[in-house]
Formats: sequence, C-alpha cells, structure tokens
Amino acid sequence: MNAISITVNGQQHSVEVSPDTPLLWVLRDTLGLTGTKFGCGQALCGACTVHVDGEATRSCTARISTVAGRSITTIEGLSPDGQHPVQQAWLADQVPQCGYCQAGMIMTTAALLAKNSAPTDADIDEALGGHICRCGTYQRIRRAVHQAAAKHSSSETATPTRAATGGAR
Amino acid sequence: MNTMRTLTNPSRREFLKSSAAGSAGLLLTFYLPAMAATADASEQVFNPNAYIFINPQGDVRLVVTRSEMGQGVRTALAMILAEELDADWSRVKIEQGDCDSQYGDMTTGGSMSIRSTWDPLRKAGAAARDMLLTAAAQTWNVSKDECSATGDSLIEHKKTARKLTYGQLAIRAASVPVPKDVPLKDPKDYRIVGTKRARVDGQHIVIGEAHYGIDTKVLGMLYAVVARPPVFGGKVKKFDATRALAVPGVKKVFEVPPVEMPPLFGEDRKPDSGHQHYLWGGVAVVADSTWQAIAGRRALTIDWDNGPGAEESTEKQRATLTELLKTSGKELKKIGDPDSSVASAAKIVEADYETPFLAHMPMEPVNCTASVHDGKCEVWAPTQNPNGMATALASVLNLPQSALTIHITLIGGGFGRRLCIDYGVEAALVSRSAGVPVKVIWTRDDDIRHDYYRPISHHRLRAGLDAQGQVTCWMHHIAAPSTDSTFIGGEVPDTGGTEIAGTGLPSGTVPNYLLQQSFLHTAVPRGYWRAVDMNWNHFAVQCFIDEIAAAAGKDPLALRRQLIATKQKPAGGTDNEGDAPVNVDRLLGVLNLVAEKSEWGKPLPAGRGRGIAGLYGFGSYVAHVAEVSVAKDGTLRVDRVVVAVDCGQVINPDLVAAQIEGGVVFGLTSALYDEITIQSGQVQQTNFDNYPMLRIADMPKVEVHLVPSQESPGGIGEPGVPSTAPAVANAIFAATGKRLRRLPFQTQELARS
Repeated sequence: MNAISITVNGQQHSVEVSPDTPLLWVLRDTLGLTGTKFGCGQALCGACTVHVDGEATRSCTARISTVAGRSITTIEGLSPDGQHPVQQAWLADQVPQCGYCQAGMIMTTAALLAKNSAPTDADIDEALGGHICRCGTYQRIRRAVHQAAAKHSSSETATPTRAATGGAR
Repeated sequence: MNTMRTLTNPSRREFLKSSAAGSAGLLLTFYLPAMAATADASEQVFNPNAYIFINPQGDVRLVVTRSEMGQGVRTALAMILAEELDADWSRVKIEQGDCDSQYGDMTTGGSMSIRSTWDPLRKAGAAARDMLLTAAAQTWNVSKDECSATGDSLIEHKKTARKLTYGQLAIRAASVPVPKDVPLKDPKDYRIVGTKRARVDGQHIVIGEAHYGIDTKVLGMLYAVVARPPVFGGKVKKFDATRALAVPGVKKVFEVPPVEMPPLFGEDRKPDSGHQHYLWGGVAVVADSTWQAIAGRRALTIDWDNGPGAEESTEKQRATLTELLKTSGKELKKIGDPDSSVASAAKIVEADYETPFLAHMPMEPVNCTASVHDGKCEVWAPTQNPNGMATALASVLNLPQSALTIHITLIGGGFGRRLCIDYGVEAALVSRSAGVPVKVIWTRDDDIRHDYYRPISHHRLRAGLDAQGQVTCWMHHIAAPSTDSTFIGGEVPDTGGTEIAGTGLPSGTVPNYLLQQSFLHTAVPRGYWRAVDMNWNHFAVQCFIDEIAAAAGKDPLALRRQLIATKQKPAGGTDNEGDAPVNVDRLLGVLNLVAEKSEWGKPLPAGRGRGIAGLYGFGSYVAHVAEVSVAKDGTLRVDRVVVAVDCGQVINPDLVAAQIEGGVVFGLTSALYDEITIQSGQVQQTNFDNYPMLRIADMPKVEVHLVPSQESPGGIGEPGVPSTAPAVANAIFAATGKRLRRLPFQTQELARS
C-alpha cells in the first residue's frame, strides 16, 4: 500500500490504505473523525456527506484514490466555532432528534447555500433528496435551510471569501 | 406485554438519602421505581438508583438512567429535576449513567421514561431544594420560613436581602436529614416544565461531536463484521478463510456460535421454554479497519446448513394466515352473544386487512464495541435495554454481573430494535475470541436482513348493524406471529392474550363483541417496533370504523363520537395493556380538536380527501386527520397531517411536537413504502433502495396541536405512529371511494381510467 495524501479540514494527512478504501472509513477509522456517519454504504442515505473541493460528496462511495490531493471538509471543519449559519439555524429550530443523519444534512445544505443563496423549496428537495432522516425531521430541515439562507446572505456580504467555499476553511 | 404491565405499576416505595461525597458537595440519591419487578421491593429500598449532585461551584448534575435516542429524554428529565429544585437551567448538566443495578430497570421503551420518573424526580428535586433552604436558614441563623428559592439556584433571605448560591450551600445541605413529603409545586408556578428548551445534545450534534455507539474508540481496538446465516435458524456447516486472511489488515477469522439467549423481560421463564431470542452465529472477520473487515468477509467461502427455515416464504406465510382466519382462533374476549347477534343483523359489514413484516432501520446501523479479557467484560452499547444485555452477557459469558461494565451510548435511532441485545452478546463473543477490544459494525444489509421484525398480521373484522344503522356486534380475529415470545419467553403462542393493543375501543362500545387470536409459527424473528401491536390492530380497527360508517351512511367522525359516547366504562378495558381505562372525554377532546383544526367537513376538490383516526395509548390521547390527493394515474400524495395530542402535563412542547412529527413520518413510511419479504427463508431487502424511506420532497405539512392539561404525563415517543396509516387509508377512501386494506398501500389500485 502506498501512502495517499489528502487534506482534511485544512490539515494534510498521509494515509496508508488500499486505494479502493472509501473516504468515509479513512475519515472514521484512520483519522478518527467520527462526525461523518456511516448509514448505507451505497450513497443512498446521505449520512456520510462531506465537501470535496466544496462539492457535497458521499464519502461512503468516494474511493480514497479519487480524492487524493483534494481539499476535504467534514462536519468538524465546517466552522471554527460551530457558528456556521447552517449550524445556527439547525439549533435555532431544534432540528435534530437522534441527530445521526444531521451532519450529512448540514454539509449538503452548506454546499447548496454556497452556490445558491436563496434556494426555493424545489431546490431544497433536489439538494436534500438524497438524504434520509429516520426520525422524520424534514419539516424542520426545510425551515432551517430557509432560515440559514437568510443569515447566509447577510454573512456573505460580510465575509465573501468564507461563504464562497460553503463555509469551509 | 408483561413489561408494560409492570411498568405502569411502579412500587410506591421511594427512598431518599443524602451524603457528602467527601467534601465535594451535596450528593442526593433517590429511588426511582423500577420498571420491572425483578426482586422483592424490600431489598431495593436501600438500593437507591439515581443521583443528583450539586458541587460547591453550583453545578447541578443529574445521572440519566434512560437511553437517549432522539426522543429528548436527557433534556426532559433534567427539566423535571430543575423545576422542583428551582435550579438555574443553565447550570444543570446531565451525565449518562452506565448500566448499574442500583438504578433499577433502565429499559427505555413503551414510551415510559417520563411516566416512570415524573414523580420520583419531582420529589427528589423538591427534597433537595428543601435541604438547601434548611442549610441557608442554619447559615443565617434565621427561620426557614423566611427563606425562599428564587428559581435561579439561589436561596434568598428577603428581610436582610441576603443570598446564597446552591454551590455555597451544597456541603452544608449534605448534612441535613432528608425531609419526607415535601410539597410539590403547583403547576401554575412552573418556570421550566411546559416551556420550550433546547436539547442538551443539540450543540454537539451540529458540530459532529456527539458520540454514538458506532463512534466508540478504545485503545488497541480492532474492527469486525460478521457473516450471519442468510436463513433464520441456519448454521455454519464449514468455512474457508484462506482468501479472507490474505486481505491486507485482516487479523483473524473465526466462527461465532449460535446462542439461545435468556428472556429479556419476565425472568421467571426458563431459557429453554420456547421463547425465540437468538444470536444467530456466523463467521467473524476481525481487521485493522472496518473496510478491511468488509473486504475480508467478501473473500470468505461459507457452506451453510440452512435448516427448516429455508422453506419459508412470504407467499406461504400469507396463505397460512388466510387459513388461520378461517379457524375460530383462541377466544380472548367475549361480550354478549356475538354469534346470534350477527346472525340477526339487518346488515353485516366484513373486511380483511393485512400488514407486512417491517424492519426498524435506524440511521445508525446496529453495532457494539466490546472488550472481554481476564474474566471481565466491558461493552459500549447503543442499547435501550442495558439490564437485558447484562443478563444475557452474564449468562452467555458465564460471568458474574459484577464482572460486567455496560456503557450506554447516545443512540442514532432505536425504535425498539435496540431492546434486543443480540448484537451486544455477539460483540462480546467476538472480542473474547479475538483477545482484543473489538467494534462490531453491521453494514446496512446486515442490519435489515438480521433484524427482529415487526410481525406480519392478518385481520378479519365483522360488524352487525341493526335496521337503524346502529352497530350491535363487532368481531375481530387477529392472526400473526407472536412478538412477546421473543422477549418474555414461555409458551406465548399457546396462551395468547397479549399483543391486542389497539383493539380496546370497540369492545365496550357495542353490546356484542368477540376478539379472537391465532398465531403463525415462523423462524423469522420478531421484535418491538415503535408502538408495537397498536400499529397493526389499530390500522384494522380504525379503517373498519370507516367501513361501517360508509355502510351505515354516516360521517366517520360522527360515528366515532357516537361509539365513544356509548362506551361502557370501564368494561371495555384499555386500549393499551397496563394503561388506565380509556377516559372517553379526553379521547373525544382530541377528536374534536383535530376535527376543528383540520376543518373536517369542509369540502375539498375532486381527487382529494380527509381521513381520521384516533387512539388512547401509552397514557396519551392522539388523533390524526390526514389530507391526501390521488392523481388519475393513482399517484398518492399526503398533503397534510393534523394531529391533536392530549398527553397530560407537557414537559417540553417542542419535544412533544418533534415526536409527533417524527411519528407521522414513521407511520407514513410504513404505510406508503415498506415490506420485508421472505423467500427461501431469507429477507429479500438489502438497503434503502429496496426498503425506501419517506424523503424531504414527500414530507407533508404536519401540524401538532396540544391540549393544555395537568393530568399526569403520558408517553409521547410512540402514540404519534399508529393513527397515521389508518387516517391515510380513510382519506384515500374519501378521495376515491376505494378502500385499501393492505399495507403498504398498493396504490396502483387507485388508477382511474
């Protein structure tokens, strides 16, 4: 096994894993970043979503070899202080129940807002359609996305560079 | 269900004592009535089983002795304590208790957590506040009557404008004798109970720092997956690990033996008395990482002995259930003379209903981490049933309970799956064989194909109406495999009489009534699935009320009001075993409220319809109105679900609303999409593609309306589920005139030419 270099939350790592290893298991088992969740292993539920160069990506099917050298952001790195507008909106509306799927939901929403500062309901359905919440928090998720969008637009004016990468550092 | 029965009859003996934990502050231990009577209560009096701790810095800490799986129990229990303690909410912290016999039964199920802790937690909080008042009075050398708690962790002496914090008083308070019968607050003085408070775990969740069972890290830990018999009851005949061991990172491959485990509840049953709770066994692959373990398992060659379970199929099970409904079944309840009543009826209404096997599918797949060495066993378990896990671990590992440490982790969805403890025992056996701590992860297909399923069920209902359209007779025959046999053991299939929740309403409302039960014997394992038997029985009953209404030319809501108004209290018993008899006024109250909020009776455009269903269960009254649209091609959309809830005293209205919103989604998912099917003894579903979940685009608008009440709190985790499917079925009928009697709905039948 050759070492593969990846950048996670701004930090470079060299990992020695088989090139077909999904990014998910490298994050969780090798780097100990367990905020990214395993749900289905087949990109069917969205729980494992991270940003790869700002794009919402299912880490359970993204082979490590395909993300070598690219910039990966996980829920742990979304904001330095847990104050990303999406995180704030999630708390304000008390979205999570068990919370297991929410890291994925939050990462997809952050990536969506980076591209589309005022998503419609249809935009939200499309962006989050690949996600499952078994606790059934969808109604609150939709409200929180709209709320985050409102906040995000105002923070975009203040800190355009951060917003441009979906809040990723 | 045995547990439910004992759950709702907690011992009235409660016990409080305090001690100064060194010089660390006030440690108040109190007795929470145990959920299951496991021993003579007199032995438990000096085994207090929960802790409140106040340190000199003023932090209030509550050890939570239930499992958090999204229902908000950590938050709600802390709120109850903080209210009576008059604590500053921002200073209240929770700590998850490990499994410990001193806490009594720690099972989280049956929507019982608030119900079983409401009284003891309030009393403990009130006693602690009283002790702090005494300590303040002693400090100031004034009468205790002149001191008061301000509600923000302060005791005040108004006359002299002096204040002391709980932290300053903690050590002195610890030496105050525990008072008896301190009066509890009048609900009108509540500041915390009944208000919206943020979840205590929320911040950790949104930053990815909430640690679930699957996130457990232990020094020197390896990762494992297990290849389990594809057929229930199957066994490993032989296996070849050569290729698996050649996969980089794979350390060990070995067989896990099948084990029949002791009953989880109702320990009076012998392990060999016919209950069906198995660890199925298989072949474990232990590796340096999860992915390597999965790769190793793919490289295994296993020859299985499938056993008799291989003969089973959904088709055969359905045929057998149909046959069972033609028999007379076991008579469980008989009022009046149903046979002659139906024979002389002016009109007979008959219908058969059916519901499928269902999987739990929590988002966090089943997993457990275990470390077994030197006669000790430590597990990190996302479990709803730590005591059952302790019993099983002690039995299977042949260790005393004192050698066990069970850490209860945050749970990424339970829904009843984690009342079964198979995966904990499995992880312990894998760790013991591997000789190191091991995290056993179930992939999604492991999770769905080796669940303990909500059982398949068939129902035959018959009603007799007189010439005026009054219901004179009601007959209900339930055919299903037993679920209680998994948990209670014993010869449940031969005794029957349990698993009839949801049938209670018509009995007592009609003069002639008959309830019969037949059991299907199957190797497919069954488990408790959010709201359990109330789901399938209530679906049949609530749809059938609408069928009677249609036959009698009555409005479904009007017929419900009429049936309820004639209920002969308390002869009809309960709608949920172990609960108090139905309070017809509260049931009417939620039906009326949901009707008002949903604008029942207001005309809808063609192709749209409303349906209603209401229940009493888990100590709460809940009624749903679903509003649906059915397109010409049969496409069904649930547009809106209005829910009225009377769950007694509300602890946190936002948590109640969340549970109902989630309950509706849980009920809709099962009604619209899901079915576990069996072929050649194997579950055919493998993941979310063939066992779909409701997703955001199909989320209806859910409105929750709470009835203000100061009755004792009812449960809220489960009662939002069962009315969802029948309300939608009834709405479909209202929209189309077509009655769908099978779950999940076969919507192709709704297409119009």
